[in-house]
Amino acid sequence: MSEVMNFTQTEQILCTTANLIEEDKAYWVAIGGPPLMAMMLARYTHTPNVFYVVEDGTVSPQPPAYVPFLTGASGAGSYRALAWKDMSTMGFHCALGYYDYGVLDCLQVDMYGNINSTFIGGDYEHPKRRFGGPGGANEIASMCWRTIFMAEQEKRKYRKRVDFISSPGYLDGSPRAREKAGLPANTGPYRVVSDMAIFGFDEETRRMKLLAIAPWTTIDDVLNEMDFEPLVADPLGTVPPPTEEQLTVLRAQVDPEGRAIGAGKWIEYKPES
Amino acid sequence: MEVLASGKGVYRTPDPDGHREWVRTHKSRVAESKLMTAKEAVEKFVSDGDYLGYDLNIHRRGPTALVHEVIRQKKKELWVAVRFSALDPALLIAGGCVSRIDVGWFIHGGTCSRAIEEGKVKTTEWSNSAVVYRQLAGAMGLPFLPMRYIGGSDVFEQSGAKLVKDPFTGMEICLVPALNLDVSLVHVYQCDEYGNARIFGPGLSPIETSTCAKKLIISTEEIISNEEIRRQPQLTTIPYYLVDAVVHMPFGTYPGAMPGMYGSDPENMMEMMVADRTGTLDAYLEKWVYSVESHTEMLDKLVGVKKLLELMKTETVKEGYRA
Repeated sequence: MSEVMNFTQTEQILCTTANLIEEDKAYWVAIGGPPLMAMMLARYTHTPNVFYVVEDGTVSPQPPAYVPFLTGASGAGSYRALAWKDMSTMGFHCALGYYDYGVLDCLQVDMYGNINSTFIGGDYEHPKRRFGGPGGANEIASMCWRTIFMAEQEKRKYRKRVDFISSPGYLDGSPRAREKAGLPANTGPYRVVSDMAIFGFDEETRRMKLLAIAPWTTIDDVLNEMDFEPLVADPLGTVPPPTEEQLTVLRAQVDPEGRAIGAGKWIEYKPES
Repeated sequence: MEVLASGKGVYRTPDPDGHREWVRTHKSRVAESKLMTAKEAVEKFVSDGDYLGYDLNIHRRGPTALVHEVIRQKKKELWVAVRFSALDPALLIAGGCVSRIDVGWFIHGGTCSRAIEEGKVKTTEWSNSAVVYRQLAGAMGLPFLPMRYIGGSDVFEQSGAKLVKDPFTGMEICLVPALNLDVSLVHVYQCDEYGNARIFGPGLSPIETSTCAKKLIISTEEIISNEEIRRQPQLTTIPYYLVDAVVHMPFGTYPGAMPGMYGSDPENMMEMMVADRTGTLDAYLEKWVYSVESHTEMLDKLVGVKKLLELMKTETVKEGYRA
């Protein structure tokens, strides 16, 4: 059987991220956008009971799959929660080690998993393009045991050095760099998910490591979309394409208006028979 | 205590004893009616140059009627704690009210970004939780608190945080200075005339934001009796003695949503977002703020009962939001 599949970059990233979500772990998810959509996809497919919190203090809600366009501009995101707390309480519970994974999307990520959401070009006092700031990502990337980042495979996003470290990865990659900066021990970036690949981080050098690539791409294709050369796992794994079930849930339930999943390039994939 | 590194960001030096003196001399302990209009409250309690904060944002349960009034009265040189914001800082900046912001997060690509790029608004970098945590220190009457984030990032360099050696364990730990706001604006569901206030739903930071401030203005969807407050004391989020003014303001967060009561107005939101992107928020403010004398007049003349009733229907989640 060989049928051509068509899906967008965004759909591929959402499905790969959703596949990483485990039912018995606790997640701190960015309040809107792709991380919450990946969580909804996982909840409506393979991890219906997974526990997550968002930074406004919503603990383990059971919201509708559809994430409103104006995220947070209604009570929908907090529907049927176990508890309504506040931002400080989420920070306390994260500092205590209760939250296993943070899930974040990012503007720029570097070879040590540091991310930038503050400015590009110029300097801090005189930024060429100023962005929104760390938001809640700094606390999430600092204190969750592991952090999962989502970023399209583009050279401008995978930088040797980011213009500004808004949220910490392994900093300069040196031993105990995070602990020496006052961050909790044994925490840090875990995976970076793109539309072409999955990356991890080398335990010794803390450098980003290519773990798996999608079947419709090559290592060279991936490296061409990076400003630095990552380590490459041997053997190199394969990232599966979205399943029919995942695409159906995304298109019919999570984002029926296609506001987010319609973004980015279309991928055409013909599985080998 | 050994200081290992210091951020170079601008912050106001904490003054816990100064704050205590303020509380001693300015805050009434008497349960008396604090009911007044938004105009009166902002005239009386918001001054040019104030350090201003508020709970939540213009999308959801933000104190939008009060923020509009601050803009209408053309307050100047405000230092605004901006975290978990939406287009509320953009409106204040477009209104010419702001000279400096603490950054947790704002909607970029529009008014806020341009004001920073052009040097019109100065910034100190923090994060959403870090700003709230500084307010928590202020709310506890402390000069600072230790915390386990901010460190290592470039945010640290541009913040007012310090990295120190913990005198108890010898471990590295970040300290952040307490933030005692001059004035806080908080919109609530229910409140009595003295200021005993109830908030439902995920809170963000109502307690820190209310408690750390020298002056606190509450706007409320509904005024309830003190007797009702006393029947269910566990529902009181903010006790009256923290509160300086109570403004009765139904639909006080319009065009945002009051979860459990009414949804946001997508038309107005879209108009605001487009104006932010295209640099025409002054026209938006002319229409929605300056051309009317009050939030109530705006609701009456520009929104109308029919629209407000529709917005009540769009908020389908009711559980948990009312006593």
